[in-house]
Amino acid sequence: MIKYIARRILLIVPVMLGVSVIVFGIMHLTPGDPAILMLGEAAPEAELAALRTRLGLDEPAYVQYGLWLGRMLQLDFGRSIRSNRPVTAEISQRIGPTVELALLATLLAVVIGVPLGVISANRPNTAIDHGATVLAFGGLAMPVFWQGLMMILVFSLWLGWLPSSGRHGGWVYYVLPTVTLGTSAIAAITRMTRSTMLETLSQDFIRTARSKGVFDRSIIYRHALSNAMIPVVTVIGLQFGGLLSGAVITETIFSWPGIGRLAVDAIRAKDFPVVQAVVMVFAIMYAVVNLFVDVLYAFLDPRLRTRYS
Amino acid sequence: MKRLVLLLATIAFAFGGAQAQRLIVGQGADAVSLSPHQTNDQPSARVMRQIYDTLVVQTEELELVPGLAESWEQIDDLTWEFSIRQGVTFHDGTPLMASDVKWTLDRLRNPETGAPAAFLVGFIDEIEVVDDHTVRITTKNPFVPMLAHLAHTATSILSEDAVTAAGEDYGTSVVIGTGPFSFVSWETASQIVLERNEDWWGGEVLPAEVVFRPITEGTVRSIELETGGIDIAYSLEPRDSARMADQPRIRLFEVETLSTNYIGFNAQKEPFDDVRVRQAINYALDSEIIVDVVYEGQGIVANSPISPQVFGAHQDLEPYGYDPERARTLLAEAGYADGFSTTLWTNDNPLRIQIAEIAQAQLGEVGIQVDVQVLEWSTYLAETAAGNHDMFILGWVTVTADADYGLYALFHSSQFGSPGNRTFWSNDRVDELLDQGRATEDADERMAIYREAQEIIAEEAPWIFLLITVETNGTRDNIEGFVAHPAGHHRLYNVSKN
Repeated sequence: MIKYIARRILLIVPVMLGVSVIVFGIMHLTPGDPAILMLGEAAPEAELAALRTRLGLDEPAYVQYGLWLGRMLQLDFGRSIRSNRPVTAEISQRIGPTVELALLATLLAVVIGVPLGVISANRPNTAIDHGATVLAFGGLAMPVFWQGLMMILVFSLWLGWLPSSGRHGGWVYYVLPTVTLGTSAIAAITRMTRSTMLETLSQDFIRTARSKGVFDRSIIYRHALSNAMIPVVTVIGLQFGGLLSGAVITETIFSWPGIGRLAVDAIRAKDFPVVQAVVMVFAIMYAVVNLFVDVLYAFLDPRLRTRYS
Repeated sequence: MKRLVLLLATIAFAFGGAQAQRLIVGQGADAVSLSPHQTNDQPSARVMRQIYDTLVVQTEELELVPGLAESWEQIDDLTWEFSIRQGVTFHDGTPLMASDVKWTLDRLRNPETGAPAAFLVGFIDEIEVVDDHTVRITTKNPFVPMLAHLAHTATSILSEDAVTAAGEDYGTSVVIGTGPFSFVSWETASQIVLERNEDWWGGEVLPAEVVFRPITEGTVRSIELETGGIDIAYSLEPRDSARMADQPRIRLFEVETLSTNYIGFNAQKEPFDDVRVRQAINYALDSEIIVDVVYEGQGIVANSPISPQVFGAHQDLEPYGYDPERARTLLAEAGYADGFSTTLWTNDNPLRIQIAEIAQAQLGEVGIQVDVQVLEWSTYLAETAAGNHDMFILGWVTVTADADYGLYALFHSSQFGSPGNRTFWSNDRVDELLDQGRATEDADERMAIYREAQEIIAEEAPWIFLLITVETNGTRDNIEGFVAHPAGHHRLYNVSKN
């Protein structure tokens, strides 16, 4: 098992290297000059040239890549072109709020999605099942920006119960962003739990258990659910990874100081050091979540455990 | 019992008082940096305006009054002497010296600094420290608008010692000025906290604390104002301000900005090298529709390249007006009776895209087939600077509120390309007038010079003059003393909360 984990961790290295080449390549191949973006509509060529020199943008791309990679290996991500703030400081200030939000949204999704899926599967084609299906499709279909604004309209403006933006001042600030971010994950987890539960419930061992007179509740929660959980765990892991890097719209609507907004602002300003570092951080987080999910499989599925032991 | 009431009243007063002095301001984006030499964007300028002082202050009425310079004198055409206020201290307690002024302006114009606003002090040839509280500025050419430039937030005076000691961290974690508020903390994308500078030379500062919060979504910013989450909201969107117009707890402040929007022609390319074609297009496009539809009425149709508030603006010019018949006649005279095909470039600004679509439809009516192309912002600026365009949409903010700033970079032949003149249009008389405007001291004479320049520009029509934008800011009804500044960076030291 340890060997398996070690191998998986080692595999992250070439993935990261690949990501670094791709992100660097894309940033330098797409149009956009940070010097022009900083100086704007009135910028004599001499000033543009001076700024490019200051920012190190006049070096050939491969030299810039080499320098960046070398510094990154020493965990030095450089400074933001736009603000001149150290990139590590930018990211460390912004990553916490995003992780917080993604964790809460995933937790919410699991707490609601798994039971809802189980109930649906257990009573297929009943009113409850249809209701859950409609809710789930609604949750998946609803655009996040629309849902966020509607929730602000209802809960902040009309009812006055919850604040509409920001993060300072306690738990109330977390409610609307968490629900907004978590809605599509609730839907995805409900659907996945329902379908894998239905599949599991139709298998032979369940029929055997039923014929032996095992209690219905025990069949569902002990026998069926633990078998049905493997694909659900994958979805939860993927959802969490997606929520980490995909919270941009939620962060923008609720003025949440997360890393998604940092990434978008940096891309717009062609702030190379920040974009590159943020993408690397996203990639590492995604890889770690995937690794975690894989390890979790082994715990959930004894067959995998024996294969890698 | 009396004592209890008194105690409760005292607590309530103390609590209310403390709360009353914390002012929360919502704006559309976070500051980029609080070093005036690092950035030249509006959200940063709005915060820096509270922390720093400039040598000259431009009031909300756009008058230029003494700031850190208590007086100035023009010694000859090229030399100005400024007396720096005595007894002013920076937020770290060190005194302001003439050497700080020289150091700041030298650093701003030094190409190695790479300051986005370096062009503002491009006129300076040399700065000399005469004594501890006197500096002498020599200009390369006579430059009368100097005072307006020295009122821009980018020319805020820094402490040489503080900036040098902080090194690369200056502007993000270390920020030292002489202004009404000192820097306390900055959580990026969340809030910037400033506190009252008790020793400010300019007098009493009312709020004990000012918090700037970036709230990107316009509608959410307006809802925060409505629900009391913030006290002041900058730059409300037209549909939100319309919704709040009759709410008793909200006060709206409309201010005509210094910002103009235009469609520029490439005047060196056919068919736009023919003045009749340029005029025809001005007649073919109904700017009023753009104001009403795209800006929901939050603007005024432009009659000249500069906002009426700017010194030197020609108030009496007639806008071209919508006259498609006349447009067709002019096109026919120019040999384009059947119209022609052309391209109109814009960046991905949604308002500009809407303007482009309206222009496409209206020019189509007089036979001009317009292909709208949307470009990434820096590519857009680079390509228009290189003259690869037919028509393009841009805006310009005459931040100094002086006609020189609003005309020189855009219409002088020495400014072709990236310095600002992207139409590549020139006119010898306008060049001459714009040079004279910089060198003429007498205000009436300057006014006459700029009026003539604008008459020629309007007649020659290197632009379609679209509109001057109107900005709406809102406050809660318990906020007193807020006055919006046309340049957008409103001063807050005099604002109180009841």
